[in-house]
Amino acid sequence: MYLFVLIKNMVIMKQVKLILSLVLAFTLAAFSLPEKLEKKVDKELASYFEEENYQKTAVDISAEAKQKLNKNFDPTLLFKITHNEKLLGYAYVGSAPSKTAVFDYMVIFNEDLIVAKSKVLIYREEYGGEIGSKRWLKQFNGAQKTDELKFTQDIIGISGATISATSMTNAVNNVLKGVNTLYDNNMF
Amino acid sequence: MKKVITLFLLFMVFSTSIGQTIKDSIQSSPKNQINSAQRILSGNAGKAITIGGYAQLDYNQPEGSNGEIDVHRLVILFGYKFNDKTQFVTEIEYEHVNEVFVEQAFVNYSIGNNISLRGGLMLVPFGIINEFHEPTTFNGVERPNLDGFIVPTTWRELGIGVNGKFNDISLGYQAYIFNGFKPADEDGNPLLTGINGFRGGRQKGIRSVVNSPTFAVKLDYYGVQGLRLGLSTYLGDTQADDEVEDLEGANVGIAMVGLDARYRKQRFSARGQFVYASISDSKEYNILYSDANSNLGSAMLGWYVEGAYNLLSLSKDQKLDIFARFENYNTHFNTDGIEKNKAYNRYDLTTGLSYHIAPGVVVKGDYQFKDNEGQKYEDVANQLNLGIGVWF
Repeated sequence: MYLFVLIKNMVIMKQVKLILSLVLAFTLAAFSLPEKLEKKVDKELASYFEEENYQKTAVDISAEAKQKLNKNFDPTLLFKITHNEKLLGYAYVGSAPSKTAVFDYMVIFNEDLIVAKSKVLIYREEYGGEIGSKRWLKQFNGAQKTDELKFTQDIIGISGATISATSMTNAVNNVLKGVNTLYDNNMF
Repeated sequence: MKKVITLFLLFMVFSTSIGQTIKDSIQSSPKNQINSAQRILSGNAGKAITIGGYAQLDYNQPEGSNGEIDVHRLVILFGYKFNDKTQFVTEIEYEHVNEVFVEQAFVNYSIGNNISLRGGLMLVPFGIINEFHEPTTFNGVERPNLDGFIVPTTWRELGIGVNGKFNDISLGYQAYIFNGFKPADEDGNPLLTGINGFRGGRQKGIRSVVNSPTFAVKLDYYGVQGLRLGLSTYLGDTQADDEVEDLEGANVGIAMVGLDARYRKQRFSARGQFVYASISDSKEYNILYSDANSNLGSAMLGWYVEGAYNLLSLSKDQKLDIFARFENYNTHFNTDGIEKNKAYNRYDLTTGLSYHIAPGVVVKGDYQFKDNEGQKYEDVANQLNLGIGVWF
């Protein structure tokens, strides 16, 4: 009898534990970047803004503004970068398709919402990794939120990496569009 | 049962939140194992599988003879990601509708930011076309002849090695050990010849004979906007069968170097390639196969330059490139012990149009003026080519 009660309690504890860990897992995983990606983002931001102790917060978006955004722009991935109340800039961390995989990228904006730097954070296949080249990514610097960059016209491609180069151009365009929509709705 | 459900939920939550590709189906419990067809159907594999392909349909019309219309190549590509670091890529090719080949089948394993291990049946990294041969990526219905005879595309062999990119200095590299060319077939016919260059020597992964390793190294530089430069080297001996290995001339040594460049800016594009191959012991090889007239040279040299211009505005989805390519490929640049055959010093001038009706679909047409330095081939017919190419 005692054994049965003991086992029953153990099972209930286990179920409670499982439910708790489920909730924890969801909250942790859904609202933060994967650890490896987070580390790279932090390293890049610290390096670009020349500030180790910056603060990274999500931009507050109204439900109304959220509705106006395109599916390919996730406002929870747009971060405001500050240092002791002073605004340094913004950063968007997204992912886009390459030939047979998906790569993670970041677009850093200055305080005037002009593209300051782009970076390919994690590239997961052997085709098309050339888009990580600093020189190639420099082409996106200076883009305004109202710009729509045309591949082969505004952005020169890389022979042998056309798919990923087109994909990155589209990705940056989506980010610009999203930022512009939020700006028009006074979210900044 | 409840435990299984909660564990499953936990797993699903993690995978959907983090968005990584769902792992392979082989669970620790055999009860949950499913085969590849079931997995594809279940939709879970969708994130991990890539399917692509390319096809080339050609019509070749040499002057004065019957033309040939052919589904030259149909290639299906499968890519599968096991996890963030490990990927398998394979290309299966149908040539002329009834010949099946495996063009690539390799595993790529990322061991660091700038270095990946790769092993299996891979493309030998030499020149432009061998690696980038999808019909929508080059002008002209047929691939350049330099890349047919001297860099025998599609050149693929079994091997292992490393590759990676240093994006900070815009430099990519590939370094592999491969098995080499076969110098003769089972019936004792020479496969390396003056007329066909290295083309007949490819083993293509078909029960390849392996004696000694060959080395292929390629460096790619993409630091200048719009320009891509390549430097390729290939070094090694042929792999003769055991039965003939000890005969003098059974094997030859090959040392090749290549330089290539591709440029595209706005509507203008250009490319060029230079290849030099040096063959040791060709004299002994030709003596051994004198009955079959191998006529293998001791050095081969080839080069081409091509310029193209897009006649349409860049804002359109379509592209209409008008191009001209001049090629010279000489499989008897130098000979040892035999007389140079001037007919093997060949020239081609290819002019034509490539009309890209949408990204990935091209209709091509070109006219080739063929020529050579010698007498025997003086009636080398010029040729009209028309073709359709797709890549997805």
